[in-house]
Amino acid sequence: MMQNKFTGKKKFIDFSLGSLNLSLDVDKNIFLKKLNFIKNINNELFSIRVENKLIPRNKYKIEKVFKKTDVNFAVISIDFSQNFENDFFKGRISLIQKKKNITDFIFQLSARWHKNIPKKVLLKFPFLINLHKNKNFLKPGDIFDGKKRINKGVWNLHEYPPSIISDNLGNQCLGFEFYDQFPWQANYNLGISEAISNENFEKLETEIQLTRELTDIILMKIYTSSQGREKIFGLWKENTRERYDLRKYHDSKNRWIKKNYLQHFMFAYGEEAFDYKKMEFKIIQIIKEGKEFGGYDSILFWHQYPRLGLDESNQWQLYKYLPKNYKTIKKIVDICHSHNTKFFIPFKPWDIRSNESLDSHAKYLERFIKATSIDGFFLDTMSSLPDSFLKIQKKFPSFEFCSEGTPREQRQIETLTSSWDQIGDIRRNFKVEINSNFFRFLFPEHPLNLVSRWSVGSDKDSLIKRAAFNGMGMVIWQDIFGCWLPFSIEQKKNIKSLKSILKKYHKYFYGDNSIPLINTLSKKIICNEFSNSHGKQKIYSIYNFGSNKIKGRILKLPLEVKEFKQIYGKKANIQIQKKQNIFYLSANLNVDDVILVNIKFKI
Amino acid sequence: MKSFENKKIFIASNEYTYRVEHLTLEGTCSIDHGPRNVKIKNLLVDKYPVTNQQYSFFLKKTGYQPRDTQRFLEHKPNKKIFNLPVVFVSQNDAIAYAKWVGGRLPTDEEWQYIAAGPKYLDWPWGNKFNPSLCNHDGNKLESVNAYRKGESWCGCVDMSGNCWEWTAGIHDDGNHQFALLRGGSYFYAHDHWHVGGGARKNSYHWKLQILNEGMNRAATLGFRCVYDAK
Repeated sequence: MMQNKFTGKKKFIDFSLGSLNLSLDVDKNIFLKKLNFIKNINNELFSIRVENKLIPRNKYKIEKVFKKTDVNFAVISIDFSQNFENDFFKGRISLIQKKKNITDFIFQLSARWHKNIPKKVLLKFPFLINLHKNKNFLKPGDIFDGKKRINKGVWNLHEYPPSIISDNLGNQCLGFEFYDQFPWQANYNLGISEAISNENFEKLETEIQLTRELTDIILMKIYTSSQGREKIFGLWKENTRERYDLRKYHDSKNRWIKKNYLQHFMFAYGEEAFDYKKMEFKIIQIIKEGKEFGGYDSILFWHQYPRLGLDESNQWQLYKYLPKNYKTIKKIVDICHSHNTKFFIPFKPWDIRSNESLDSHAKYLERFIKATSIDGFFLDTMSSLPDSFLKIQKKFPSFEFCSEGTPREQRQIETLTSSWDQIGDIRRNFKVEINSNFFRFLFPEHPLNLVSRWSVGSDKDSLIKRAAFNGMGMVIWQDIFGCWLPFSIEQKKNIKSLKSILKKYHKYFYGDNSIPLINTLSKKIICNEFSNSHGKQKIYSIYNFGSNKIKGRILKLPLEVKEFKQIYGKKANIQIQKKQNIFYLSANLNVDDVILVNIKFKI
Repeated sequence: MKSFENKKIFIASNEYTYRVEHLTLEGTCSIDHGPRNVKIKNLLVDKYPVTNQQYSFFLKKTGYQPRDTQRFLEHKPNKKIFNLPVVFVSQNDAIAYAKWVGGRLPTDEEWQYIAAGPKYLDWPWGNKFNPSLCNHDGNKLESVNAYRKGESWCGCVDMSGNCWEWTAGIHDDGNHQFALLRGGSYFYAHDHWHVGGGARKNSYHWKLQILNEGMNRAATLGFRCVYDAK
């Protein structure tokens, strides 16, 4: 488990906990010498500056080594101390392992200040910066493209996927996670998770506040894998999800929101939605046109913005001004329901008046549900579900909420069970990138509908490909508040094809076995994996992001293949090749193509 | 409330360079915003927006009843508010009145010329905003002659603030129908996602997307008339 070696003048402490092996040189400072397959690291674990003076390396003294193991728990720690000028510092480095392949690395510090007056302390982590410079180090969401690491993964929540370092073969991997419980928490992890993803990480130096008692400075989770970086993601996913109460997603009811693959944005003020001669909404026509996309699963009616604010009428009053007031909505809802289509109305939190509360709006909503039988409430500009609305679901169990922003915080994710995955920026030259949305893979039970309202032409093509690559639904929004940006016939066909696949293979896409950015055999290919519960069948979404056609082996498969079929995208001449009992998927993949391949394995 | 005469002011024909700013939040406003040369014919223009008294008289004389009455005169005009601009009228309601008095609604270009004049003033009264010369950010509509010092170069009053004014025509970009409103209003909603309220510059119009009449009428939306002159 642990060895103290004192050879000649050098002092080493070797830690060995399960699959983690770590060696420290504690001769003059505390140096990381070895970390599993990474040898000769020879970097200081930390360096401390007090009022801009670096504490010299030779000041550190090892005070105590502690270890304890039993069946479920193993801990090793070393205490050290140092005097610097008139101040006294104590520290502790600990490794705690409660789960196989996941080890907590904890770094703590305390200070006894001269005359009890604290000083400014800055901390650096040379070992981390050195690892970060390693050519096999991947920041969260990064892949290698053969020459450099590039970002192909995005996430928009407070969890940070681990950074990963691998051996040259890519099998042995270590993942490092710096969980930030709360961004303003003193000392704890110091925003490393965010910094590591940004440029200038090398310059990261953080300020800490030290007291007489040891305080947590770093709590780094180290994930170990001998099965590539996919396994690291799986460990992180499992460990992260354990903190969440996901009952709302998995209650016994067959919640329709899980199959809300295509949501139509019905902007009221336009020919698409309104017949100016008959002065009525063209709901039957909309549903009919929706069939070109594969059929709308829900319709979001939109008439308050950009009209609210012309006078004092609030968002609910504007329904009264529609033809035949609320009855119009009731009529539309009934037609939608007869076509198996759900109906949303939006909520505008920015329209809440100073004499109103969320509770009062919940009452309006309750009355509206009773009067019109609407199925859902779309939370404009929001990414959380207020408690006032949460109560509505207790009265109307099939009523659903969907927000414009993907929820970011734990409580929001637990209560708000559907949202848009919205990208784009009208004010910039926004290009729709085809990459992996880590939120979608961390919480596959949370349906996301992809939308980029201002994207046109090739960006719309990319948007559809991005949805296919991530196995997610879309928002069909063509009338952007009075700007008509329709999908082409070809794009409609592609969406229709995607929807039929999402529907047919629902259990794969929305099951909890999906992994983003698995290893591929081509530097210009990225791939996500979706699997059914027992792993007998998988769907691979594959994207050629390079500038040349790729021909040949692109994936090494985990098992012997029984059947395979390309289910989405331009024909790519998929073949399964066997060599030395290993199965490979080969394809001819054009530039910018996204394909989906379904494979049944022999088990 | 003492009534007063809404006299007509003569505007001599002229050419001027039309240039307008619009703010549609998101979406587009598919008209040519200039700069472009426009010709204004000889016109007479109402000094004030049409008042409740004038509109009530019209109703009394004509028995006008819109086909769709949703929100029509929702504020229930009475003698106490006779001098306030008539609101809760759709563009159709405004046109019906204008026809009856032998006039019409000003075009967007005409409205701007009436407000800004040949000196291209930013505000009816000059180039500097002065909230004391208009009903800006107030609590309610005020009499159309409450801010006579804020009159435009030709003597028209209440062109900025108090109530938005319809201009002529429904614009059609092939997929949407919309009208252009001028002048701003007393009402200033609290959030940036709301329609930008308050008094508005002469060179500003707002795109009102047309729907049914109930949605086309508002508590802040009135009109004034112009008359073709020789």
